[in-house]
Amino acid sequence: MNHLRIPASPTTPEVEFDFSAHSLAIKGESYPENASAFYQPIIDATRAYLAECGGSAITVNISLGYFNSSSTKLLFSFFEALNNSAADGNHITLNWFYDEDDETILEFGEDIQEDFKSLDFRSQIIELG
Amino acid sequence: MSLDVLSDFKASAQEANVLFYYSGYFSQNVIAAMAETIRSRLAGSDISNTQRKKIFSSFVEMSQNIVHYSADSLTPSEITDGEIRRGSLCIHLSEDGYTLLSTNPIKHSDIERLRERLLPLRDMTLTDIKQAYRAALRQEQNPDTNSKGAGLGFLTIARDASAPLDFYFTPAPDDPTSILFCVKAII
Repeated sequence: MNHLRIPASPTTPEVEFDFSAHSLAIKGESYPENASAFYQPIIDATRAYLAECGGSAITVNISLGYFNSSSTKLLFSFFEALNNSAADGNHITLNWFYDEDDETILEFGEDIQEDFKSLDFRSQIIELG
Repeated sequence: MSLDVLSDFKASAQEANVLFYYSGYFSQNVIAAMAETIRSRLAGSDISNTQRKKIFSSFVEMSQNIVHYSADSLTPSEITDGEIRRGSLCIHLSEDGYTLLSTNPIKHSDIERLRERLLPLRDMTLTDIKQAYRAALRQEQNPDTNSKGAGLGFLTIARDASAPLDFYFTPAPDDPTSILFCVKAII
């Protein structure tokens, strides 16, 4: 699969994974009824893609204005998969966009940075509405 | 019901500074629609963005708990998508701050499990809660915990609340065989 594209819905984010360009982006809001059903296929597709990559420069852009607790858990698994791949030799930049009033998302970003040291983590303040 | 009853109801709600009240069946679509109206009500009020986000987050966690765990379900218990379950949710402004109150029927057998999960949170400081949250986030999901979420829901609400979460169990007025589970969070 070269491209994984899921349009945004009121409670799920837009997913735009252009695997051939090594560019992965998740954008919007995330509070699906069943976060596993939404994220597990995305994580599986990413794992399959990462397994085929070696020494690639991969850019991941995450700009989520809100995500619920079960999405948080699944996002954590997603970042874990990225981190394992970065430890194996891919260079992965994670751009973490957050609203400056959002201490929750800022703190979650800090957790990711602390736990997943192989990722090149860059946080950036942005107006997320 | 006469129109007078409705206008009395509206007047009482206004007097109690009720921003939002819903009682009935909850589904993901209902939550999405409520989210829209709650956001616009909050946008018109004089509160900080930070507090607004916390109220919104608690609303989502509480209403998704109803969709996942209320004992009164219109959908078969084994499905995990498109669930419809009954409960109520109220957001009102009190002298302590914005108060969110959710209620839903539960089985007698759920009381202990909920009490065990919620009681320790009442004695925890914000630092303790954040630490427990981080630990729960890193925990492998246990398929036996009967939790469809991540077990992070109550911790998320407790983290956003400005006072310890209040909760109680009371016999349902319309059905004495069922128990109403109520959670109150002040943001």
